[in-house]
Amino acid sequence: MTGYADFLFGWMANVDPVALVLAFSAIGAGLAMIAGIGPGIGQGFAAGKAAEAMGKNPKDGGKPATLVMLLGAAVAETSGIFSLVIAIIMLFANPLINKGGIAIVLAASAIGAGFAMIAGIGPGIGQGYAAGKAAEAVGKRPKLQSAIVRTMLLGQAVAQTTGIYALIIALLLLFVNLFA
Amino acid sequence: MEQNLDFGIHQVVTFFEYNGQSFGLTTTHINTFLVMAVLTIFGLIVRYKLKNFKMIPDSKFQIIIEFLVDTINSFTISTMGEKNARFSSFYGPMFLFILLCNLTGLIGLRPPTADIATTFALSLTTFFMIQWYGLRARGTRYLKGFLEPMPFLLPLNIIGELANPISLSFRLFGNILGGTIIMGLYYAMMPWWAQLGLPSVLHSYFDVFAGALQTLIFVMLSMTFVSSAMED
Repeated sequence: MTGYADFLFGWMANVDPVALVLAFSAIGAGLAMIAGIGPGIGQGFAAGKAAEAMGKNPKDGGKPATLVMLLGAAVAETSGIFSLVIAIIMLFANPLINKGGIAIVLAASAIGAGFAMIAGIGPGIGQGYAAGKAAEAVGKRPKLQSAIVRTMLLGQAVAQTTGIYALIIALLLLFVNLFA
Repeated sequence: MEQNLDFGIHQVVTFFEYNGQSFGLTTTHINTFLVMAVLTIFGLIVRYKLKNFKMIPDSKFQIIIEFLVDTINSFTISTMGEKNARFSSFYGPMFLFILLCNLTGLIGLRPPTADIATTFALSLTTFFMIQWYGLRARGTRYLKGFLEPMPFLLPLNIIGELANPISLSFRLFGNILGGTIIMGLYYAMMPWWAQLGLPSVLHSYFDVFAGALQTLIFVMLSMTFVSSAMED
């Protein structure tokens, strides 16, 4: 087992540094986009709840519920957008290539940035759940729309916090010389 | 491609260098002063026109100003409660300042809020306001709140209190920086014909929608923190 590991790390140490960083950036970009699971589930839940509200109270509650669902789903998309930002940076404007340092550390930074963005699953699901519940509530009581939307946005903002932390770490790994 | 890509902070004027660190005016300073100038001129115009205002509004300008002030007042009262209505004169200008900062991306400037220094300064204001108004309104009972629900949770409560300004500042910073990076990448990657008209869709989401939303969230969270520190 250690023989294989030695072989692998020996190969990584000898290969062209730029090629190594690019290869690991490709993996990192793919990993970052896994975060799309979160907004997908969350927005699907919100859409389902809005459809339910539309079915129960089509005359008064349907339209406000759709509006709240769209607003909440747009906020739930944030972590997906953050992942896209990191993936596009790694693919098209990779700052690691021109950076001096040990190639294996830079390559690991690329993978680590991708891994960090997977945290976006959590905020995506949570914010989508909040959007769905808000759509349901507005469908039942359309008159309380502004109060419900405000509570939803406040909670969604707090739910976003861990996703923001992940973005900060990913940007630090990409742009700042941490280990040099 | 990489030479066109531009979303970083630039130093426009350098005053002096010390130990390899250069000190001077960055794009953040200049854009912040631009926003401040716009707000100051707006304030001076309102002050000048104030003597023409009548009991029953007869000019469009007065109706717009009254609508603005009314909205800010009712927003403050509904978030912080009737007895904290005086905070509207602090949070209203703060709202306008952050909103204008977030919207500077529309005219091609780098938003000052896409710099952690700006957002952290704003959130430190909130942090000290929480402590000051909490102490003034509740005195020792505020400090005792750190020992609840159990005394040994004191370190955890202190860490939680210190995490507030950090998460508050990084939320605004991360969202605006994300939009700035996306817009920078779009302008650097697309051919010239894709830069006509099409970016307006991206701008309306990242600058107008996300900018207004994050402004609202920052101000609303600050209000909630301060008013909950004053409550028993």
